[in-house]
Amino acid sequence: MSLTVEQTIPKPATTAGTAALSNRLSSTKDGGKMVKDYWDRIFTARERGAQVVWYNGAALNPIFQAAGIEWCHGEAFGARLAAMHLEGPAQMAGEEYGYINELCSYARTTLGCAVLTQRGAEYEDEGGVVDRDTLAGRLPPPDFFVNAYAGCSTGQQWDEISYRLFKKQLPFFKVSYPLLWGNKPDAGYLRGQEWESASRYVASQLHKLIEFLEVQTGRKFNWELLRESMHYIKRAAELRLEGMALCRARNSPATYWDWIACIAPINFLPGNQALVDYFAGVKNEIEQRLKDGVTALPNERYRLAFDGIMNWNKVGWLANKFAQHDAAVMVGRYTHNSFWHEPQLIDVDDPILGMAQHYLLCPSNHSAKTMGELLLRDCESHGIDGIVFHATRTCRSFTNGQMVMSQMAQRAGIQSMFFEGDVADAAFYKDAILESRLEAMLETIDVRRDQRR
Amino acid sequence: MPDAQDAISTLTRIAEDPHAYAESWKRKQQRKVIGTFPMNFPAELVHAAGALPVVVQDDRAPITLGRTLMYEFYCGYARSLTDQAATRKLGVFDAFFLVDHCVALLGAVDAMRFELPEQPVFLAQYTASMDEEWTPPEVRKKVESLQTQLEELCAVTISKEALAHSIRVFNRNRQLLRQVYDLRRSGRTRITSTQMQMLVKSSMVMDIEEHTAILSGLLQSLEKERATNPNLVRLHLSGHFCHGPRPELLDIIESCGAVVVDDDLYTGFRYISTDVPELGDPVDALTRWYFDRNTNVPCATRAQKNVDWESYLLQSLKNSGAAGVVVLMAKFCEPHMLYYPELRKALLRSKVPHLLIETEHEGLPAESIRVRMEAFLEQVRRPAATAAA
Repeated sequence: MSLTVEQTIPKPATTAGTAALSNRLSSTKDGGKMVKDYWDRIFTARERGAQVVWYNGAALNPIFQAAGIEWCHGEAFGARLAAMHLEGPAQMAGEEYGYINELCSYARTTLGCAVLTQRGAEYEDEGGVVDRDTLAGRLPPPDFFVNAYAGCSTGQQWDEISYRLFKKQLPFFKVSYPLLWGNKPDAGYLRGQEWESASRYVASQLHKLIEFLEVQTGRKFNWELLRESMHYIKRAAELRLEGMALCRARNSPATYWDWIACIAPINFLPGNQALVDYFAGVKNEIEQRLKDGVTALPNERYRLAFDGIMNWNKVGWLANKFAQHDAAVMVGRYTHNSFWHEPQLIDVDDPILGMAQHYLLCPSNHSAKTMGELLLRDCESHGIDGIVFHATRTCRSFTNGQMVMSQMAQRAGIQSMFFEGDVADAAFYKDAILESRLEAMLETIDVRRDQRR
Repeated sequence: MPDAQDAISTLTRIAEDPHAYAESWKRKQQRKVIGTFPMNFPAELVHAAGALPVVVQDDRAPITLGRTLMYEFYCGYARSLTDQAATRKLGVFDAFFLVDHCVALLGAVDAMRFELPEQPVFLAQYTASMDEEWTPPEVRKKVESLQTQLEELCAVTISKEALAHSIRVFNRNRQLLRQVYDLRRSGRTRITSTQMQMLVKSSMVMDIEEHTAILSGLLQSLEKERATNPNLVRLHLSGHFCHGPRPELLDIIESCGAVVVDDDLYTGFRYISTDVPELGDPVDALTRWYFDRNTNVPCATRAQKNVDWESYLLQSLKNSGAAGVVVLMAKFCEPHMLYYPELRKALLRSKVPHLLIETEHEGLPAESIRVRMEAFLEQVRRPAATAAA
């Protein structure tokens, strides 16, 4: 049985048929290889007799690594399919099952994968041989689920559906996160009683998760391996931040798009020396570029911030689109305020609390006011001229607060614009809207500059 | 039934303009009005603090200034909340309280908070996953924090006795509304879906004791009725969280030859399904109520492994004798979009015809819905006719 027919989708040409203008880091290609190897390893987990967890949300992978199981991050796989333009079969399977296309496209894609995996597993149980020639159908069936989704009710609910798709027969553990709302005057980013109590609440659930994993694996949890993994992750995170800081230079040696390419490694690859080496390589390349005067754009005239989750179908396209306009996208909530971005919180000898805090610091788990303050802070530190908001059609967690943030930016005298797209559904991307609004914003920035002279 | 019509008209008038009622109440009582949001807020706490709890309703006005706070790809309720904030229609509220966790609702209320900085907005987010042993104590802490915040806001101390009294008052109201549902299911009375929505919506926005008094009179009238509609197709309305479907839509559904005998709408049976335990500590009771509600009428906004909306729905159909289901989905409602395929699968497996209608804040394609409804009712009637033959 072939689960679905593989669609051959040609890779889109660069923007408007021109040569690539964005001089992206070459070292991130190593990350691409590491990520591919990781997924290939997941696909063979069953043959190797490994236990597999399907999980969504926070980067729980160091815990799974220490528990000795294989971890499959649903959104990461959805993003990978979209980035490879191979999301079609999964989304089609989801649509046939009944999902409406306004539903979160991450959820639709990964639930579509679950439908394909479940269908394949049933067919195999009946003695059939599944031809897994479609990437979307290659995920191994899970042994259990873990959900740990901050800042998005849909993220939590979609695993309730995954659980039901597998006929409620698999164990399922859930970590709940409070939204960092800020009821009290002392509340704020990394501070206040709300932050402290939420941190402790999540940490206590992580201990329960570890107990759950001990039951599922039949083994004592390897705390030493967790400390070791977090040691490497902390070092990798520090190197990532150091590299990001170097990019504040004018003209910038690397941009937001390079940091987008680094998300998968920092989000779900194992904590080990290879991860540290990868981010050391990225930082080294940036340092070398600074020494050699190599820049990310041939002619950097504008420095922009990007708010919103990534449009995984269009990463290269967008990088070139902005480069064509001499616009260096410098910083973003998804890259710079996510993924182990406060490594000083991690005590490698006792990492659980710092891990819990990072999970709470999911970039959509804050009030709009806090997100706006962080954005303005980043605009200040990166010399930002304008902000691009990705109005992500099916991702309400990332679009929440964007209009408030835009108003805060306007009050601070920073231009902003919105463009429409989606996290994993190419149908929602509107190129003409991005083009015209970007041109208008850049013209306004020019006018303001002239007025200041 | 002139008395019944009078009562329904009174409650409809209030349900359609809850802010006018709240302003009048505030003037007379010189007490605070607290805006709350779907779907699990314990209004009893506000009542015990001496304030008027009002579930903030959607507003029929087209979205205008709210567009500066929220994108168009959010549900109508969320967009209407931000629009009411931006157009300054929420001035009657002294504060807002929220316990839920829907991503769109949180986004809307956060935008309201930005737009209306003088009006406090308090979130005590209930843990949505109901299965874990640590969830009830965590929810209890939230109930306590609600109580503390309300006490500060209203400058009162909420005694256990006062809270227990409020619980009894609200239970009585829910029980009366459920009696109306029982009459409806039995076919003894013909309450239209719009009327039913108005009865429930008015209970969300009125002084509960005043509502109970009117409702008691209404029930006496309804119990004298002997209405039967043997030729109409009996339907169940399902879905539509947070805000009520438009009356015009409900009228179309019923004008095609159907009678709605039951529902699980938020502005319907879901809201009044469950009483708060009256014995024991009242804070414990309000905590228990949160879990009991989801067991009684499972909600797609919660995460609970051992209950299923579709099982509840199938059982409801047996209880009411409904022959088909109209699923009303507010466009962009993520919890509903996620669970709809599970409902669909269960209904198909049980050979229960159903029709999905997506609703939007603005615009109702009346004729196309009418045609779809007529075709759907044919589909419902056909197996019945075949069986009779």
